[in-house]
Amino acid sequence: MTRALHWPRTLASRLSLIFLIGLILAQALSFGAQYYERYESSKNTMLGNLETDVSTSIAILDRLPADERAAWLKQLERRNYSYLLNEGSPGTPIRTDMPDAPIAIASIKDAIGHDYPMTFTEIPGPKKHFQVHLNLSDGSPLTIDLRPAMVPLSPWLPIVLLGQLALMLACSWLAVRIAIRPLTRLADAVETLDPNAHPVLLDEKGPSEVAHAAKAFNAMQARIAAYLKERMQLLAAISHDLQTPITRMKLRAEFMDDSSEKDKLWNDLGEMEHLVREGVAYARSIHGATEESRRTDLDSFLDSLVFDYQDMGKDVQLTGKSTTVIDTRPHALRRVLVNLTDNALKFAGAAEMHVEKQADGKLSIKILDRGPGIAEEELKQVMEPFYRVENSRNRSTGGTGLGLAIAQQLAIAIGGSLTLSNREGGGLCAELRLPG
Amino acid sequence: MDHVDHILIVDDDREIRELVGNYLKKNGLRTTVVADGRQMRAFLETTPVDLIVLDIMMPGDDGLLLCRELRAGKHKTTPVLMLTARNDETDRILGLEMGADDYLVKPFAARELLARINAVLRRTRMLPPNLVVTEASRLLAFGRWRLDTSARHLLDEDGTMVALSGAEYRLLRVFLDHPQRVLNRDQLLNLTQGRDADLFDRSIDLLVSRLRQRLLDDAREPAYIKTVRSEGYVFSLPVEILGDQS
Repeated sequence: MTRALHWPRTLASRLSLIFLIGLILAQALSFGAQYYERYESSKNTMLGNLETDVSTSIAILDRLPADERAAWLKQLERRNYSYLLNEGSPGTPIRTDMPDAPIAIASIKDAIGHDYPMTFTEIPGPKKHFQVHLNLSDGSPLTIDLRPAMVPLSPWLPIVLLGQLALMLACSWLAVRIAIRPLTRLADAVETLDPNAHPVLLDEKGPSEVAHAAKAFNAMQARIAAYLKERMQLLAAISHDLQTPITRMKLRAEFMDDSSEKDKLWNDLGEMEHLVREGVAYARSIHGATEESRRTDLDSFLDSLVFDYQDMGKDVQLTGKSTTVIDTRPHALRRVLVNLTDNALKFAGAAEMHVEKQADGKLSIKILDRGPGIAEEELKQVMEPFYRVENSRNRSTGGTGLGLAIAQQLAIAIGGSLTLSNREGGGLCAELRLPG
Repeated sequence: MDHVDHILIVDDDREIRELVGNYLKKNGLRTTVVADGRQMRAFLETTPVDLIVLDIMMPGDDGLLLCRELRAGKHKTTPVLMLTARNDETDRILGLEMGADDYLVKPFAARELLARINAVLRRTRMLPPNLVVTEASRLLAFGRWRLDTSARHLLDEDGTMVALSGAEYRLLRVFLDHPQRVLNRDQLLNLTQGRDADLFDRSIDLLVSRLRQRLLDDAREPAYIKTVRSEGYVFSLPVEILGDQS
């Protein structure tokens, strides 16, 4: 009971409410005004009629012989009033100067009051009922029996009113819908905005405000993409331009006498080179989606990948079979798997690749290792560029922090998804899911 | 008197070409360094060389253009080793398609370059290919298969890609370059030896059996690669060079 009325939460219901209340009020006002006007004009017409009619009727009755009067009563009767040839019913007297005296009484008094002295009484009852008592010139009593009432409303009027209400509801629903829909679309577009993916442009048609908002959104999207591209180009350019000095340094280092200093320099250069390559690869993974998709026999693809590792003396095993031909971009897929496998080899020294076709038709390729794994709270962050798991920093194996970011980007680019999880019994499981 | 291999190095970066030249000289090769395509052409006019090391990214005529020019002219048999600064698949594909024999990604180690140079020289001398794949032909057809020589994978009749490992590709290329010719294990080993791994003698047999599986070849009655007792292997089907992909 104490709870105040709630202002509805959604814009749609708020607008609907405002529209509806406004329209209903306006409708009620105009209906009321019309009704009042109708009442006034019909009252004036009626009173005018009443004056002439009553004076004529009384004059007729007065001139008729007393025994013929009763026969005329029926013809003189009107919808709101009739004539009685008696004293009438008992009631409370009304004085014509009372403010709430019925106006009909004043009219009658104006019409015939100077010829016939009269008294007015109100007959108690549920409806308004007056009587006017007077005596005709021969002294016989006459009562005018008045039952004032408006002309009843036409029976179709409520239907018309209901129709109007329905029309108002429909209009406000339509208006709200038109106003809200572009907003919903915009919100959806912003929510799904992924600057790395292909931009989805909003339709720039519609009312000018909507078109304006859509244009502004599209422009913003383009701007974000341009910034990202610029960032990537910067990364690519720096990485690229570092290649020449690193090449020179490596060549120079090879002329040095063998010493521990040379080995250290060699290792440093190796790390720089790796970072540069990964930098270029990361930049390309986002903006270099130029490779064409092609039908690929997945089993031979994984098989040859694993053989390449084995030929290099690495402990990589393949289990499972998919017996599937997929449409994919082979270089991108290879890069994802190589990055994940290299990661496993780095931290665990061995990797197992497991492929299976799932019940929903999707393909799952897992790269499993028995390394230290990754703390649960870091599982998501490690896919971000340049993020490194804390304990990898101090290891000789600490990489560039780009391998997983590249894998993640490319996995998305080929329509798949990459998830990391810790295995039971220790180690990491990187699962690449591809559409079948 | 032993022949000393003469290597021509074309790179616009003065330091790199001199460092490379000096390193190769120190390791018993004869070297000449030039800065661009113009100097390269002028030098080749007067002096034949055994191998050309060509940088891809150069101002003016770039390495890809020069390589294509070499392949079209009188130096089409001179092996070319490309240096590419970009770590990009398209460069690799382009380099090989233009007719380069191998490539190396910058930054590289000089000893790796030396190893590659020696491998390319050995390969081209030991057994010159019967079948010369020129720039225009990227596809080799045999049996029910086609081999894409730039992307390095097999295509079946439906155009479905069947991937090959590096060693498998190199072995298949050796067979396809010398069709219907018996190759012994030593030759196969030498020709197949790639950039990454050194294969052992016995691994040739393993590699052949892997390749047979890949080609869906029955090991007991192989249709593609036949075993020649006590000699080696022979690729028994004719090989056709297709003009273009697709």
